[in-house]
Amino acid sequence: MKNVKLLTLLLVAALALPLGVGVSSGQDEVKLVYWSMWNETEPQAQVIQSWIEAFEAANPNIDIQATWNGRQNQTLVRTALSAGETIDFVDQDADPISGGLVAEGLALPLNEYLDETALDEDMPVRDVFTPGTLDLFAVDGQVYLWPYVYNTSQFWYNKDAFAEVGIEQPPATWEEFLDACQKLLDAGYDPIAAESDIQFYQIDYLTYQAVRYGGVGFLLQTLEDPTGEMWRDPIYLQAAQNMRELWDKGYIPPESAGYLWPAGQQTLGVGLAAMELVGSWLPIELANVVEGSFEWGGFNFPAMPDGAGDQNDLMVYLLSFMVVKDTEHPREIADFLKFITTQENMQQMADEALVGVTRVDVEWAPEIADGAAAAANATAVFGMADGGVALYPELVNNILYVNWSKLFLGEITPEEFVETMVDDQAEYWANAG
Amino acid sequence: MRARTRLILTFLFPASLLYIVFFIYPALRALYTSFFDWSGFSDNARFTGLDNYRQLYRDDLFIESMSNTLTILIAGGIIVFGLAFALTILLNSGIRGRKLFRAVIFLPNIVAVIALTTMWSVAIYHPRFGLLKNGLAYLGLESWSTILFTSPQNIFKSMMAAIIWINVGFYVVLLMAGIDKIPTELYEAAKIDGANQVQMFYKITVPLLWDVITVGIVLWSINALKIFEFPFAFTALEPSPNTYTVAVYLYVMGFGQRTPIYRLGYATAMGVVLVLTVILVVIVLRRVMRREVIQY
Repeated sequence: MKNVKLLTLLLVAALALPLGVGVSSGQDEVKLVYWSMWNETEPQAQVIQSWIEAFEAANPNIDIQATWNGRQNQTLVRTALSAGETIDFVDQDADPISGGLVAEGLALPLNEYLDETALDEDMPVRDVFTPGTLDLFAVDGQVYLWPYVYNTSQFWYNKDAFAEVGIEQPPATWEEFLDACQKLLDAGYDPIAAESDIQFYQIDYLTYQAVRYGGVGFLLQTLEDPTGEMWRDPIYLQAAQNMRELWDKGYIPPESAGYLWPAGQQTLGVGLAAMELVGSWLPIELANVVEGSFEWGGFNFPAMPDGAGDQNDLMVYLLSFMVVKDTEHPREIADFLKFITTQENMQQMADEALVGVTRVDVEWAPEIADGAAAAANATAVFGMADGGVALYPELVNNILYVNWSKLFLGEITPEEFVETMVDDQAEYWANAG
Repeated sequence: MRARTRLILTFLFPASLLYIVFFIYPALRALYTSFFDWSGFSDNARFTGLDNYRQLYRDDLFIESMSNTLTILIAGGIIVFGLAFALTILLNSGIRGRKLFRAVIFLPNIVAVIALTTMWSVAIYHPRFGLLKNGLAYLGLESWSTILFTSPQNIFKSMMAAIIWINVGFYVVLLMAGIDKIPTELYEAAKIDGANQVQMFYKITVPLLWDVITVGIVLWSINALKIFEFPFAFTALEPSPNTYTVAVYLYVMGFGQRTPIYRLGYATAMGVVLVLTVILVVIVLRRVMRREVIQY
């Protein structure tokens, strides 16, 4: 009897041993280092922190260490990676990170993970993304960015002001837009709020006009012209003249030339101005400024006469995760990214941070509902300066922005803008090497 | 003697080592980097010789930033020291509350730069609600009240006015500390001899304060040439090209902003030019300001 008991114990132990080995090797501790563009107190950071905690609870062997760097994140990541520090994944605005870390070859391609089944849907995870967002910054078919926040660039307006002057539907054409501006001006509003010092707001007027007149990619093609002669295309002179028309008619009030951010948008928040061409973060930024009954609306940049573009072509500012190429834990990071892309988690981001998100079946905050509609109906999406910021940052920042800003603020004429762009861009490409 | 020399060297060694590690080596490394086209992200640096320096010569934004920097140095310096002298003379004229006035004038130097830029750009210069606009209108100066102090044409001058206001207090304190050391008997003797205030200022105060003035001007020159925080923060979201200084433009080109320009080699070349400018200015100033030290 004793021998049987001993034999039984030995047999059970022998059977249990592989389990013990299997459990310990499958639960290896994994540490993931995440550097973030958010500051720790921002709502987006708090949502991401809750995601991390939930993911860690479901995966006890994984520990995600988050460092909240703020908007200089990519610059700090650059220095850290050069010094040999381990960073597994980061996030940042898609345009700069595409032109930075991705362009430097430091990003891991994500296609294989995007082809995997989503955690909460019986479809590839790439199919839960809002159309256009995954491929916007793809390089040769490889996707390097996992976008999660979706900001639209539209005219954000005071619905009550528009209703007061009898504008039932937002303008869809340039002519209707000018008509709306005149009605608002006659009623005592500043039709359009503007900032004098934010060049990447000002450039949206040129970007959208180029896209409306020439289609998505036309401005980018112009920037790529080494002779600069494409700036002589009549649409650019027309776009510049249209811009000055808004100032000359008083639709953008003259004191806007002295508005340093956020002075311009404040006038919209306190009811002096009626609309502003800006990202869909504006209603949230002005949440503490507007009266409780303020009704926000957003409408797409109007169609231009005889334009080749579609009024539903939409400029977007995406915020994205990126996996560092040399990470030792791509599997775990991919699992985390799939986890955060569930409908529940994306809805949490939309509800608590009051931002748009890149998942299709998520409801955005009421203030930016028109942004959600624009995203759903977008016929095409494009990035800042029609993708120029990501691909040619120095040309855009030091030449395009500078010259358009001078035109915007009345320092040069439309004709001078065109000629200066031809000359400056030709010189840039001649020296670019 | 040899033992003494060895002792001196021993005590100098730690500080020298720190100086070499944290200043000399990085400076030489920066000089080396300035000959490369390098983003800073990886080890892929391409040697380009003097190309970065040649490009500086053609770069309109760099030229504008250098022009702004030199304007702050020269025009700003003249106004800062002019005001500092005037206030020093006033405060030393026997008025009551001298110490209080001195503290108030010095106050901007202890307030955070971001608070000062917000105060000036929002509270003072705001085109609609600003103190300046409404104050001028209240005084009946209607045409002046319509000036847009932060328009592209005026923003640099407006920013410089704020920089001057911030810095005057420091140099007032410096000059007053120097003046306090001058024996009052000299002024009494001068008065007995019939000297007026202006004569006493030029014949007594300035000569006896010369070394303090020299130190002050050198300090101002270095700070003006490398000024960064105020111009960077003056236009909240991103610096305006109209207010670029060399240090700000260096940062834009080397450290990426919303547009991801990461040209560390080129930015370093700017840094080298800036350092050489500082050295040149200091050498010139030391020569120009050299005079016999008056003992008293």
